[in-house]
Amino acid sequence: MDADNTDRLIVRAIAAIPYRRPSAGFSAKVMAEIAAVEVPLPWWESVLTASGLIVAVWAAALVFVSARLVYVNLADIAALFIQPGGFSQTLNLLAARTALVMVKAAAALKFASGLLSAAAAGLPAWHETAAAALLCSAAIAALSKSGRVSVQKTGI
Amino acid sequence: MIMGETDIELVRRCLGGDNSAFAGILEIYQDRIYSFALRLLKDQHAAEDAAQETFVKAFRGLSSYNSAYPFSSWLFRIAHNVAMDVLRAGNKTVSMDEEDFHELPDPARSVEDSVAASIDAARIEALLGSLPPLYSEALLLAYREDMGPAEIARVIGAPEGTVKARLFRARELVKKGLKLKVEGVQPFGGFDRIN
Repeated sequence: MDADNTDRLIVRAIAAIPYRRPSAGFSAKVMAEIAAVEVPLPWWESVLTASGLIVAVWAAALVFVSARLVYVNLADIAALFIQPGGFSQTLNLLAARTALVMVKAAAALKFASGLLSAAAAGLPAWHETAAAALLCSAAIAALSKSGRVSVQKTGI
Repeated sequence: MIMGETDIELVRRCLGGDNSAFAGILEIYQDRIYSFALRLLKDQHAAEDAAQETFVKAFRGLSSYNSAYPFSSWLFRIAHNVAMDVLRAGNKTVSMDEEDFHELPDPARSVEDSVAASIDAARIEALLGSLPPLYSEALLLAYREDMGPAEIARVIGAPEGTVKARLFRARELVKKGLKLKVEGVQPFGGFDRIN
């Protein structure tokens, strides 16, 4: 009888060891505990939920403010709709207001871009900025390395 | 559980929000995990608690399971960690000192002869119960759960070389235990260490 054969017999005997069964209510106990487990939401789902809540709160605030505005001006609004051609007149007014806002927004954008280009003219070229950043990083790295070496040498 | 459903399909259903699919996983693994815990902890209540904790932890962490590896080794890894925590909480020491191994038997031919005649599953099971848990664990994972050294290494979180050495030492300890039984001596009476 050689060692390999003994090993084989041991392996076969271990493979033949029967599995033991837990007590009868084990599965039910585990499933009950699992039912009580709250699986944490993935991060993106939390972000979505938070965004949804923020949007809902803002919408509620907007509705509240608008409702108050409508309530305060209810008489004027009613008068506007009651008179003949009042509805189309309201639409025209809204369209005119929208056009005015659009023109103002376009003008603001143009002004901002002009401001930016005027500021950009005073800035150094991108390669100069990149070179300066690189030099600064190298200087900082060299200084902190020499600092570490001297600290190690002095044993502080 | 739908007949023939694989672990991965059950896991996918669980991840899709179908908690009842976990009953399928439980059905497949409850005996294996419980037996594994029982042989390490040597106490029915502790083993049942450990098995329960293993399944609950598995359920909680199901989204972190990497399907590139077998589900069984992931589950056994959780069971291993739970069992080791229980053993440590019970003030069992964790040691890999050389002194643990100096009594390994010399696998001489005469020893082999006496050992071979006394090998059967019941004796081996009793012997596994008297081995230090890390050795019985290595033997069970290798030969009862049919895992290779690489898979066992993933389960117990040790290098593959350590697993191979542990398996070798475990087999030698089993042979020594069988020899002592043949001679009528109680094997490994003093072992209650994690390894």
